[in-house]
Amino acid sequence: MEKNRNKIITALFVCFIGGFFLANILLPDIEFSPNENRYLQRFPRFSFASLADGSFTEKAELYSSDQFALRDRWITLKARLELLQGKRENNGVFLCSDERLIEPYTAPDEALIEKRCAAVNALTDRLNIPVTLALIPGAAEIYGEQLPAGVRNDSQRQTAAEVYSLVRTGHVDLGQALEAHRDEYIFYRTDHHWTSLGALYAAESILESAGASLSPNKYAPRTVSESFCGTAYSTSGFFWVKPDTIQVFIDAPQGLRIEKYEDAKPVSAALYDEEKLDTKDKYRFFLGGNCPRVHISTGKEGLPSLLILRDSYADSLVPFLLDTYSQIHLLDLRYYRASAAQYAKDNDIDSVLILYSVSDFVSDPSLDLLAQ
Amino acid sequence: MVFSSIVFLFYYLPAVLAVYYLIPSRYRNLWLFFVNLVFYGWGEPVYVLLMVFSIALNYGSGRLIGRYRTQRRKKAKAVLAWNTALNLLLLIVFKYADLLIGTFNRLAGTAFPLPGLALPIGISFYTFQTMSYPIDVYRGDASVQKDFIRFGTFVALFPQLIAGPIVRYKDIADQLESRHETVDRFASGVERFVVGLGKKVLLANNVGVLWDAYATAASRTTAGAWLGALAFSLQLYFDFSGYSDMAIGLGRMLGFEFRENFDYPYISGSITEFWRRWHISLGTWFRDYLYIPLGGNRRGLPRQLLNILIVWALTGLWHGANWTFLLWGLYYALFLVVEKLFLLKKLQNSAIMCHFYTILVVIFGWMLFQLDSVGEVVRYWQAMIGLGGAGLAEAKDLYYLRSFLPSLAVGTICATPLLKSGFLRLPERVRAVLTPVLLLTILVLSTAYLVNSTYNPFLYFRF
Repeated sequence: MEKNRNKIITALFVCFIGGFFLANILLPDIEFSPNENRYLQRFPRFSFASLADGSFTEKAELYSSDQFALRDRWITLKARLELLQGKRENNGVFLCSDERLIEPYTAPDEALIEKRCAAVNALTDRLNIPVTLALIPGAAEIYGEQLPAGVRNDSQRQTAAEVYSLVRTGHVDLGQALEAHRDEYIFYRTDHHWTSLGALYAAESILESAGASLSPNKYAPRTVSESFCGTAYSTSGFFWVKPDTIQVFIDAPQGLRIEKYEDAKPVSAALYDEEKLDTKDKYRFFLGGNCPRVHISTGKEGLPSLLILRDSYADSLVPFLLDTYSQIHLLDLRYYRASAAQYAKDNDIDSVLILYSVSDFVSDPSLDLLAQ
Repeated sequence: MVFSSIVFLFYYLPAVLAVYYLIPSRYRNLWLFFVNLVFYGWGEPVYVLLMVFSIALNYGSGRLIGRYRTQRRKKAKAVLAWNTALNLLLLIVFKYADLLIGTFNRLAGTAFPLPGLALPIGISFYTFQTMSYPIDVYRGDASVQKDFIRFGTFVALFPQLIAGPIVRYKDIADQLESRHETVDRFASGVERFVVGLGKKVLLANNVGVLWDAYATAASRTTAGAWLGALAFSLQLYFDFSGYSDMAIGLGRMLGFEFRENFDYPYISGSITEFWRRWHISLGTWFRDYLYIPLGGNRRGLPRQLLNILIVWALTGLWHGANWTFLLWGLYYALFLVVEKLFLLKKLQNSAIMCHFYTILVVIFGWMLFQLDSVGEVVRYWQAMIGLGGAGLAEAKDLYYLRSFLPSLAVGTICATPLLKSGFLRLPERVRAVLTPVLLLTILVLSTAYLVNSTYNPFLYFRF
């Protein structure tokens, strides 16, 4: 009995570690993890220099867990175990009702807000055209009450209010606009972005503040994808939640011309990039994803031109602005390093919109470039 | 390399074991010597040289002392003194240089630059281990090891290299010569290793997240401070005893038998008992190589109290290069002295009170152990006794309690012998089936956490 038991234990252990040893060595390495939306670590190149400075072993450790056989299954198992213990959080993401994934928001300290506002004011002072600031509160604000009681989740509208009180620009209270439609599908459940519907309501109040208008009832949605699994999904490991639906409300009008500038040479682009729907990061469907500078000629003559300093939320908002402006310029300060004020002067801009999610506004240091 | 990593578990260990059992037994020490250096060099490619130097130094001293021991006692003593001094010097240079120079600068107002040397992993453990060998040779407790590879295998033996238990040469001298690797021993090694892995990965890392939440908090309520302190007490125990379990288990897989290092310390009824159950190999080391040579309890009470003070000041400092560790050692010296003088007798009156007192002293002690400055410790203690000014409890505490209650409950039960004695009461047949199933479950769950987790620091790793 004893002898048999010990043979079984020995065999089990040897098979387990030996089996995965062989599997890990024999199975081909995977380049990209769609679930996690990142490139996995490949086997590092050995050199004595990289061994001595520790980078070889560090990368080899990463490699060993990144390329572990059945990696996704292991991650899901861990996420399920956490839930089983009564924890609703994994890797900083909370699983809330209706399978909504929420990453709580932590407010920055006063000094950081002041610094950002100073940059915005510096930009305003250098221009004599209207500058409007619109900060987007995320799902953690609108659906914050779904988080377990006691989880730290600061108010994003509070942060926005503090910012608005410190800047000398006009502002749009998107918090109110989104809150009013909280029962509709305005945020993706698995991603931090707003849906096209959320963007539509935001556009409505932004345009209103600019003296234009937009009637939401005019538009009917068209579904383009029902399998969108966003960034919160990737971080969380809750790989069983149901995917999101991507919809569009406006088709690209006749005469629309979009040019994206990765460097000095423009590349023509589409309002919707259908090919991106076959990739993991389906949000890049809107305008084809991140780019330092985008120039849109709407084909409508005689209307003003708008410069948007923005993060990726603007990509899905732009379709709703096409009837109001002749030219729309988008600058992403993470990649566009020259002066935004100079850009506005060089391009005959009539007004500027600074459109950021609250969390990007406080966490993205490139915003301080606005001062230049 | 740490045991609770994918690299160790699924690359290094299978390769080491496969070759170890395929080659003839006379080459096994040489193989171990080689893979020990790979294990150590994985995290410390440069300090492998220091390790080899330390091996050579103590090997040479051992041989010299062995030669002079019987006829030229004085010369042997001189070699021993030099060897001990050199070992301690290495430890001081690599571990305490910044602390000593920094403190001197502050006191004398000078500005000598801090060397800022990275601490070689496990130096505190292997210095003590190697240092005791020439002492044992001098005392006649161990015979001289003439085979360099064998001695090197002992010093760098990867299972206990970086976090103990502190294995003494005389305890495994015979095993270095010949050991019997059997299926039974291997299986019992697997059991110990997997249990240790579970303690580390499933329990320690888990409650560690809770401790981190409170350790870094700007303010803490009383409930929060206790939640954090409980979490840390469990984390440290499972982290360290899990490591010892893994070390003992790995040793058995390779045919070695190490001494136990933990014996359910949290069920102790006095501080004196606690230190007979916590990190046993360290306590024994200090007793045999410092306390008893200082005279122990044989030179009257005042001298004994002084000896306790010296031993515990150094025990504290051994744990880390920060004056808070010295205070932590003295904190225990205080309780040990008070117990020796009168408290121990009083404690015998009430079983409940003595456990309550012991666990309180230990938990408060861990804060002194873990927090970086006296100011922080005082703030934490204040919160624990309700003087923190942040109130009794807040919503956050309730959330953390709810999220971590299962881990804390399982942890508390596992810190006592309840589970084990219950398991041993099951019929033999049931146990024979249950053991492999449980082990496989722990192994699978631990793997899931390891694959996912970047959160995997070893607490006793930097000592």
